[in-house]
Amino acid sequence: MAESGTISVATAARRRRVTLRIPPISVLLLLIIVLMCVFAPLVTPFGPNDVDPAHPFAAAGGQHWLGTDELGRDLLTRLLYGGRLSLTVCAGSVVIAFFIGTIWGVCAAERRGFVEEILMRTADVTMAIPQILFALVCVAAFGASLLSLTVITGLLLAPTSARMARSVTIQETSLDYYSAGIAYGAGKIRLLTREVFPNILPALAGQAVINAASAMILEASLSFVGLGVQPPQMSWGVLLQQGYGFLYNDPTYAVAPAVLILVTVFCLNLAANRLGSTRHRKVVRP
Amino acid sequence: MQFVIKRVVISAILLVATSVLIFAILRALPGDPVAARLGTAQGVNQAMIDRLRSSAGLDRPLVSQYFSWVTGMAHGNLGRSYFTDRPVSSMILSALGPTLELTVLGVALSILVAVPAAMAAARRPRGWLDRSITAIASAGMAFPPFVAGILLIIVFSITVHWFPARGFIPLTQDPVQNLRSMILPSISLAAGAAPLILRYLRSELVTALDSDYVRTAAGKGAPERRVMLRHALPNAALPSLTMIGLITGYTLGGSVVVEYVFGFSGLGALSVQAAFRRDYAVLQSVVLLISALFILVSLTVDLLGWWLDPRTRGHRG
Repeated sequence: MAESGTISVATAARRRRVTLRIPPISVLLLLIIVLMCVFAPLVTPFGPNDVDPAHPFAAAGGQHWLGTDELGRDLLTRLLYGGRLSLTVCAGSVVIAFFIGTIWGVCAAERRGFVEEILMRTADVTMAIPQILFALVCVAAFGASLLSLTVITGLLLAPTSARMARSVTIQETSLDYYSAGIAYGAGKIRLLTREVFPNILPALAGQAVINAASAMILEASLSFVGLGVQPPQMSWGVLLQQGYGFLYNDPTYAVAPAVLILVTVFCLNLAANRLGSTRHRKVVRP
Repeated sequence: MQFVIKRVVISAILLVATSVLIFAILRALPGDPVAARLGTAQGVNQAMIDRLRSSAGLDRPLVSQYFSWVTGMAHGNLGRSYFTDRPVSSMILSALGPTLELTVLGVALSILVAVPAAMAAARRPRGWLDRSITAIASAGMAFPPFVAGILLIIVFSITVHWFPARGFIPLTQDPVQNLRSMILPSISLAAGAAPLILRYLRSELVTALDSDYVRTAAGKGAPERRVMLRHALPNAALPSLTMIGLITGYTLGGSVVVEYVFGFSGLGALSVQAAFRRDYAVLQSVVLLISALFILVSLTVDLLGWWLDPRTRGHRG
């Protein structure tokens, strides 16, 4: 039949149906984590700041599934409420990176030449500084509020999105349908938004999922060193920091947020791989 | 030769642009580091603030501040910390050791793990060994270095007491203890870095092993070991060289928080502290230094790849 990398319409349809029916385990796990954080009050009977000084560092099991912290606060409850902030920062920055990165990359691909050089060399410069250090510089300059944290993380991730958007847009605009559209007299903006954008969306979505993993790590790193989410507000990074302070008293305190960060990042990576691998299959039209 | 000149020029421009960017961001908001330093101290008056500002050069125009920073750098004079008044260059020098050692060990360990693992995986693509190595690699990629560090401390320092949990012992003082204190931090960095090389090298090796020259070599009766090491690996390793530049960036960034976890007073810890105190004089120089290291390593790796490849060596390319 067709060359490698292409499959028939029937196979493609079958595969699509299968992937639609059973979402991959990684996506299911992510969904469970998100839902548990969103509906935290329904999951646990405790409040995140309910202290119980009589039972500090309680062991896991019984009433407190993951035990308690130094003030007797329920660890699972704090993780779920902390997850709300972690996930909010993560989602917010991914959206910012998506919008800025897409416009940035599509503009570079569309205006070849001088504008492209400027735009893409700017991306190079921002990527020459290790992300976490760039984040430190921005936090030192703009402060560590929740909003600034989200915007900073989003801006840091935008260049990677921009590179992806540029390369897929260049690929897409070299195809016949685009030149046909131009020849037919369609406006560039209209062509880009109505025809090109839906075609490059899967690639951009894959990049956005990878960005979500990076955002998670960045937020956790910054909060861990005390330059991200500020206590008494909590995120997984903050909880990891607090657990790290009691490493010798109660290792589970640090392990719980660490494992949650790992599982989330791992699932995001797996989901991104999956998006990436289905993206390249081209359907042969009869 | 044209290639070399072009790469060097691009790196130099990148470095200058990086310094401008760092400087511009830190001066973007009208915050005042001197006020932050004096903070709640008693009896602070405007005259005192003005004197401190002018001694730190903060009352001059931004452009002239930038140029005095850059020209000072050429003479090894990076100004003084706004906070402790110590010369920035001596603060950086004393913090350089742990970071450099950590980065070198982290990158070396990643290569030592990734190359044999990639060869083992590429021998039978999609075989059980390949599948398990790839699975372990993708799990490793999910480990942010500092999270890996905390888990390693819990397992190897608290549960079984094999390695010290915190603290850096200089190599010159006690090489054995130094290495012992370096093992866990290096593993934390390599956990995320090794899979990056591994995945790339593996796919390059699979392509190489599938090629005509490997089939010819095997057909002439060369043992599998020789085919892998002499024929496939050099060709596959060449494009993978660029990954080493990437790994170095990853390791330099990762070491920032890893140093914090293991209580090393390296460049990462220094930059976190400087960000806390809004000590721009220290922060801008540390961040620029680390970025310069990253740019330099990428340049070296690129040039090395160009020189090692007989197809491009001595040609314009």
